[in-house]
Amino acid sequence: MKKTSTLSKLYLTVILLVMYLPIFYLIYYSFSSGDTMDGFRHFSWTHYQALFADTRMISIVLNTIIIALLAATLATAIGTSGALLIERIKRRTLRQNVLVLNNILMVSPDVIIGASFLIFFTFLGIKLGFWSVLLSHIAFCIPIVVLMVLPKVKELPQSLTDAAYDLGATRWQAFSQVTIPGIMDGIKAGFFMALTYSLDDFAVTFFVTGNGFSTLSVEIYSRARQGIDLEINALSTVMFLVSLLLVYVYYRFSVKPSSKGGVVK
Amino acid sequence: MSEKKHLFFALPYYLWLALFVIAPLVLIFYQSFLNLHGQFTVQNYLDFAQSSVYLKMTFNSVWYAFLITGLTLIIAYPVAYIIAQFKSRDFWLALVILPTWINLLLKTYAFIGILGEKGSINTFLRFIGLGSHQLLFTDASFILVAAYIELPFMILPIYNAIVAIKPSLINASLDLGASRFQTFRRVIWPLTKNGVAAGIQAVFIPSLSLFMITRLIGGNRVITLGTAIEEHFLTTQNWGMGSTIGVVLVVAMLIVMLLTDDSKKGGRAK
Amino acid sequence: MAILKFEGVKKQFGDNVILKDINFEIEEGKFYTILGPSGSGKTTILRLIAGFDYPNGGSIYFAGKQINQLPANQRQVNTVFQDYALFPNLNVFENIAFGLRLKRMKKKEIQLRVQEALALVHLAGYAHRELDELSGGQKQRVAIARAIVNRPKVLLLDEALSALDHKLRKEMQSELRQLQRQLGITFIFVTHDQEEALAMSDQIMIINEGLIEQSGSPVDIYDEPLNHFVADFIGESNIIPATMVRDFAVAINGKEFICVDAGITPGEQVEVVLRPEDLDITTVEKGKLTATVDSQLFRGVDYQIMVHDTDGHEWKINSIHKTTVGKQIGITFDPEDIHVMRKNETQAEFDARLESYQGVEA
Repeated sequence: MKKTSTLSKLYLTVILLVMYLPIFYLIYYSFSSGDTMDGFRHFSWTHYQALFADTRMISIVLNTIIIALLAATLATAIGTSGALLIERIKRRTLRQNVLVLNNILMVSPDVIIGASFLIFFTFLGIKLGFWSVLLSHIAFCIPIVVLMVLPKVKELPQSLTDAAYDLGATRWQAFSQVTIPGIMDGIKAGFFMALTYSLDDFAVTFFVTGNGFSTLSVEIYSRARQGIDLEINALSTVMFLVSLLLVYVYYRFSVKPSSKGGVVK
Repeated sequence: MSEKKHLFFALPYYLWLALFVIAPLVLIFYQSFLNLHGQFTVQNYLDFAQSSVYLKMTFNSVWYAFLITGLTLIIAYPVAYIIAQFKSRDFWLALVILPTWINLLLKTYAFIGILGEKGSINTFLRFIGLGSHQLLFTDASFILVAAYIELPFMILPIYNAIVAIKPSLINASLDLGASRFQTFRRVIWPLTKNGVAAGIQAVFIPSLSLFMITRLIGGNRVITLGTAIEEHFLTTQNWGMGSTIGVVLVVAMLIVMLLTDDSKKGGRAK
Repeated sequence: MAILKFEGVKKQFGDNVILKDINFEIEEGKFYTILGPSGSGKTTILRLIAGFDYPNGGSIYFAGKQINQLPANQRQVNTVFQDYALFPNLNVFENIAFGLRLKRMKKKEIQLRVQEALALVHLAGYAHRELDELSGGQKQRVAIARAIVNRPKVLLLDEALSALDHKLRKEMQSELRQLQRQLGITFIFVTHDQEEALAMSDQIMIINEGLIEQSGSPVDIYDEPLNHFVADFIGESNIIPATMVRDFAVAINGKEFICVDAGITPGEQVEVVLRPEDLDITTVEKGKLTATVDSQLFRGVDYQIMVHDTDGHEWKINSIHKTTVGKQIGITFDPEDIHVMRKNETQAEFDARLESYQGVEA
């Protein structure tokens, strides 16, 4: 194919710059000794010191991570069983309907999910706080796990489980030694997506969080509503670095390490 | 025996479907028929239909979502196309995905600084002699920031559709005498329509409900349905009215899904 | 004694009847091939033997015991799958050791058995390769090793060679045959490739639409196909309508020819089969039938010549001598080249008839 023209390269560069500009803008001002995002004063670690001394913020970060890990783990377990279940449904229309139901939370606007969950928890008398947030996060992470795992389940040849039975495996052995490893890539991807969704969620959490409990998104929102606070900028830098690390981890572990080494023999 | 085990495995998923998918939908629908005193009424719907404020807001929401979607589509398609041509496309794609890992509140918050009265853009405008302007708290700023936030979600599905096209198809088209533009119009575009439809769904629907952006950037005014729902649920505590608007939003969403789905069917039928 | 027996076995999925009434016996230590077109039910038979599916009617016996509902993991049968079904997360060694590990065999024993199996399929030294480092043929061998390492009584091979290219396939055919003799266990091989079936088997079962059309040795089936389907499916053939005149005489196009078949009512409408390689081209005067050459195709070893006779029947002739398109020629053949088939004759009836007049002859 033809080489990409200079014009298109320029276009891509500009768009990518625009995409990263706000992030670097935040990071840049996090090192300013001032209190606003206009006019860089001089370099300082003040806002980082404030951030790391802010026990409320640190406990909120921990809360957010705990919620995300728990929600992603449970959603991955339930979503994987859901994907296996959907593939087992023989009747086409029924399977189609279950899939439609599965995808409702994927396509619903966040406010609707948040509002309807709020009604649901109030209706059941569940106190808003940690548990309502955790349940909500599990709930909206399940469909994404299903969608990531389902193609892998479909790709898994029936003959593979047959082969396991043929070689003397019980149902459980075939499931744990053949089926699960066979769909592991999908499970990993689902877990990471669930983690991202949970960490990133604001709207749903905002509705079901109540007063006592807060996640990072909600905290940033309420601070931002009060105006500029460069501690948030310092937080952005930290989060950006963590994201970079996570991206690295994700690519390192999701992309199969090539086994070329053996060929040399 | 195995059927029992099967049920044991399936139970959590079915429970989730029943409790967190079906029940909340039923409840929000039910709630929309309740007034502030918990009495059953259709008043909420009447209020909605008769209030020029709500109708204008509905129109605005859809119109803004449409603008945001259009803007991101125009920007995203070339980006996806260009990246798909690169050898190291995975790297460039990762660059596009990375910003989505930054909390969207943080990105929105950045714009408070960028668009602020003393922010960079105004500094630049003053520098070139255009004077400073009120950029923050305008509808335009809301659209801009929303488009910025949603851009990667438009790029991804289009990119996936483009890389799924076999190079031999493009070669075949060129071989059969089509120009590059004709190849695009008759081969690439039709084959990426599904990706575009997926992108539109991924952007349009959230755009109806980005209340945090309207709050932070749009100037704390209630200008979209999403903001109105948040206002009724969390500020004025009129859940009935909030649910009614929610039902309207769901209907709007269904219409969009049917429309984008229709284009798919049309493509298949041809 | 038969190791495996099917008695009136039926299998259907919903309303879709796959197997109507399957009866056969499989003896120990032989190479069997189940041959049939796709959709004939041959793979279903294999799945019933392996225990992946259970029959809806009839009985399956293994070493004298009924095993209709016995789960796959409790049967002394192992399968080589069409797509190999190697576990992608395991390397060659672990794939082969899979069944042994499930049996909680000792490590040393496993090591020994796997090496032995690898040697049998000529893959010694490949134990620690990953699957994606293997060629198609090597994966095939691993799949075979994984099955035989468990020392099954019966080895099932489901279209096992169909993914390989022509040359490799030929190689694997003779290797499989050799392996079967070496191990002395029963192989049941499923294929749609008649050439493969003829080359490898002790016994062939021809399946069509859920029924066994004919079973027998490759030579029997080739020389004495029971009916139109078998004659057409196995090898190349000319199937021509004819009338039985009396014992050892049949009329084609109204002309009487001597044949070797008997026991059929005179005047009965039958079909005769003549293999293309048994027909010779000669002059019109010397020919038993007269025909005009329509086309000629050079195939390397011979020419395939299409002709039509004076009655309008098409004939296919394989000859090492070329001829000229449009020329009038004579077709000639020997009495034993003609094989007469009665319509709707079962294998039992055919065998009985054969016995009756071959007894007379002798």
